[in-house]
Amino acid sequence: MTEQFTRREFLQSACITMGALAVSTTGVEKAFAATSTSTPNTSGMPSCDVLIIGSGAAGLRAAVAARKKNPNLSVVVVSKVMPTRSATTMAEGGINGVIDFSEGDSFELHAKDTVKGGDFLVDQDTALKFANYAGAAIHELDYIGMPFSRDSKGNVDKRYAGGASKIRCNFASDKTGHILTHTCLDDALKHGVKFLMDHHMLDLSIENGHCEGVVLRNIRTGDIAPVRAKSVVLATGGYTRVFWNRTSTPYIATGDGAAAALRAGLIFKDPEMLQFHPTGVCHGGTLITEAARGEGGILLNNLGERFMKRYVPNKMELAPRDIVARSIETEIREGRAFGHDMEAYVLLDVTHLGKEKIMRNLPQIRHIGLLFENMDLVEKPIAIRPTAHYSMGGIHVTSIDTMATPAPGLFAAGEASCVSIHGANRLGGNSLCDATVTGKIAGINAAEYAAKADFGAGKRLNDLTLKWTSHFKEITGSGKGNVNDMYALREELGAANWYNMGIFRTESKLLALADKHAEFQARYDAIRIPNTNPVFNTAYTEYVELGNLLLASRAALMGATARKESRGSHFREDYLKRDDENFLKHSMVTMDESGKMHLDWKDVVVGQFKIEERKY
Amino acid sequence: MKFIIDRFDGKKNYQQTYTVEKKDIEALTLLGTLLFIKQHLDLTLNFTASCRMAICGACGVRVNGHSYLACDTKMTELFEEYKDADTFRISPLSNYTVISDLAVDWEPAIENLRKVKPGLVAKDKFSEKEGCVQNQEEYDRIVGQWDCILCGVCASECNKLSADRSDYMEPFVYTHAWKVANDSRTKDPMIHVKPSVANGLWNCVHCHECTNRCPKHISAADDIAGLRALAMKKGLNSGVGPAHAKSFYTDLVEDSGRLNEIRLALRTEGVSTVLRAGTAVTLMSAGKMNPLEIFGGHEIEGHKDLVKMIEAAHAAHKE
Ligand SMILES: Cc1cc2nc3c(=O)[nH]c(=O)nc-3n(C[C@H](O)[C@H](O)[C@H](O)COP(=O)(O)OP(=O)(O)OC[C@H]3O[C@@H](n4cnc5c(N)ncnc54)[C@H](O)[C@@H]3O)c2cc1C
Ligand code: SF4
Ligand code: SF4
Ligand code: FES
Repeated sequence: MTEQFTRREFLQSACITMGALAVSTTGVEKAFAATSTSTPNTSGMPSCDVLIIGSGAAGLRAAVAARKKNPNLSVVVVSKVMPTRSATTMAEGGINGVIDFSEGDSFELHAKDTVKGGDFLVDQDTALKFANYAGAAIHELDYIGMPFSRDSKGNVDKRYAGGASKIRCNFASDKTGHILTHTCLDDALKHGVKFLMDHHMLDLSIENGHCEGVVLRNIRTGDIAPVRAKSVVLATGGYTRVFWNRTSTPYIATGDGAAAALRAGLIFKDPEMLQFHPTGVCHGGTLITEAARGEGGILLNNLGERFMKRYVPNKMELAPRDIVARSIETEIREGRAFGHDMEAYVLLDVTHLGKEKIMRNLPQIRHIGLLFENMDLVEKPIAIRPTAHYSMGGIHVTSIDTMATPAPGLFAAGEASCVSIHGANRLGGNSLCDATVTGKIAGINAAEYAAKADFGAGKRLNDLTLKWTSHFKEITGSGKGNVNDMYALREELGAANWYNMGIFRTESKLLALADKHAEFQARYDAIRIPNTNPVFNTAYTEYVELGNLLLASRAALMGATARKESRGSHFREDYLKRDDENFLKHSMVTMDESGKMHLDWKDVVVGQFKIEERKY
Repeated sequence: MKFIIDRFDGKKNYQQTYTVEKKDIEALTLLGTLLFIKQHLDLTLNFTASCRMAICGACGVRVNGHSYLACDTKMTELFEEYKDADTFRISPLSNYTVISDLAVDWEPAIENLRKVKPGLVAKDKFSEKEGCVQNQEEYDRIVGQWDCILCGVCASECNKLSADRSDYMEPFVYTHAWKVANDSRTKDPMIHVKPSVANGLWNCVHCHECTNRCPKHISAADDIAGLRALAMKKGLNSGVGPAHAKSFYTDLVEDSGRLNEIRLALRTEGVSTVLRAGTAVTLMSAGKMNPLEIFGGHEIEGHKDLVKMIEAAHAAHKE
């Protein structure tokens, strides 16, 4: 395994030299022919064996796994931002995985909590395998250098996370995600993974059912080019930015992967399952994580009441997210909150923990309180309200054993994928290990596949590239357009989705939102970007992302409208009960060439855990 | 009020002035202000941001020449710091290649990171199956450096990088090397120390600018000192850097230990010796030299003088 790359070698071998459509002159092919194991690519397009889109935990783990599986393969990670700028970095609370069995915890219990937390929309066979892998993943992370917080014996420390029957949320202070990302990046560098930063995947090409590569835009130069790959792993993260300013996730969480999959004819599974986190800061939705409640923080309304006792008396603040989020919104709706409308909030109080404990275990959270609300939570309670947080839905993956999509050569992992671990509601701490575990599996299988596969013909890929090249010219070409058109639309989309498809949903709100979406789409299509410069045209990047958000919103709306029941994070005020008879099923959304969306259903895999009412 | 922003469109550099109402931005962070300008005045303005909560490191920029993390800086703080100035000058981080406006190229920095092999190689007694064991004290020793978010602020402020970046790396690269070399789980610190030495470790001039501005309160300068001490302890003490270190150490120890004596050393030995003054700091942190004895009075005071001297020496050296 080569560990040392000079910058020149890096550029040569990663060598998707964009703008090098006429590759014969660049020597790119030669560089790749040397690293590739099977028939060299003769189409004249830049190529590599395993192409990974996204550099969060899922992408980074996939890359290392692919390199380890087969060091002869070229593995390139593409990301629209630098590797450490992903959602993974922002995670604070911790990562689930059973490594301590002394108190009666087991993989089975972890799986059971996951199934129950997901309101039984979880595929149970998947959950069991996932829990097994999660335990192993914690040790592996420790071994590759992750500095977990330690207990008195020097082992990985753990805290309580919502919806869990045992304490199994392993953590590194309240910066678990940041520390995890940096550990994974270090490990990827160690294993000679190559990066293409500032490259935006615009589309994915599936021809004759096989994945043949992706269209990339080099944000730095503006060049748009096809890249062929024997296998592709989509690890592009979630789409919670459909609620634009009411989400805890970074600006990049625009569902690019899911949208590209839809356009390529693949399935977007359970798109309506969007999770709301109970405790975002009032302004801008940034998260005060579960760790605050895990450490003993309490929620108070304007009467000074610890109101969770009304909803889940035995779990109080530690009930699963969907329930706590709804409880807070109910307090707000019933007038027991501070402030009004979008500014309404309740209080989260950790002051009783004492300064020392807060500084040691919750420093990041304290910092956020200071930054966004000017409130020091060492001294007083902080204003919070729910915020969109996680996408349970994603690109349909057939099995956790491979993380393969139905299109040979295409894999998906992490938040971008949906292999039904989280069902209708994800438990705190389950997503970092989802990204770590599924990323690794996808990487191994992508490498295995690439070792045997040949490059596709690349015809459709070429057509798509030409389409995007002219699209850029069309959208930016005239240099005309109002600066605020796009940004205003983005805010409006976010607000409309929040009001109509947020924590409380009804038929009439959802139908109204459908009209809105049609109007938004028309307005979107008319937008022109007044910036003709191809160099780092971030406005165009944002334009493309907004298009993806619109697609993801429409898919989510389709699922939300059809699912006439309440389950997990999907709460219908007109259908208050869960309806297992009709909806113990995954919604499967596809899109045809004309842009029309279709809905199908797939039965949930039930196993040893009895379907029962979800009570806490 | 006005924001003068340094711009680069891929071909030419220019400045552009944006006028905004103070009331529109005073409750915001600096990142909020940049977003305001982009979304209301000029969407061709480019900068990078992702988490808006001071953890992803994407939003480093300079204000009036000093580096800040934009999302972690409130406008009110800037107003205070610059005495209610009504004009601010915003520029990209220094010591990076600018791609566009305030966006800079991180690729070379990542490749530098690759050089020090930041990935841990765990001791043989640990395994992938069972993980590692680490006590609180060992954990505490490294956890500060793990706060580094790769924001580039330290590199932007680094005098050595500004003077010559051909034989030096971004300060945080050494911090990364230090954190893994210093980890109780590591099999061999030299895996990371050696490439640090080979890639400029002895060229730090210990001006401490990196430390002064790091939003996460990390001292890359101290980590560099720590790496040097480790290198010398492990016998990596031949070559120009360590030689200078030794002679400078002798100068300091043999003279009366007063600051003007150091100036004397400067006069007699020339500028290059002082350029290695960092060694003194190295030795101090290795416990071989008591800074209080040398400078008399308070450590920080003496240190300030030292920093000034190095800067002066540095400027002279450049001429
Ligand atoms: C504030 C916050 C706190 C959280 N806390 C926890 C917690 O305590 N525990 C827990 O388990 N989970 C937590 N989560 C959830 C968890 O962090 C994420 O779900 C998980 O990290 C997702 O990882 P990922 O690798 O799938 O995607 P991400 O980390 O989102 O990475 C996506 C990557 O894809 C890239 N990308 C996207 N689109 C494109 C494109 N078109 N072209 C090229 N690249 C692209 C992005 O640049 C990025 O690198 C939290 C999330 C947030 C936001
Ligand atoms: S050491 Fe500090 S300033 Fe330098 S990159 Fe890390 S966090 Fe930023
Ligand atoms: S102390 Fe060294 S690394 Fe830090 S800014 Fe000065 S020269 Fe650069
Ligand atoms: S936007 Fe992430 S650190 Fe500022």
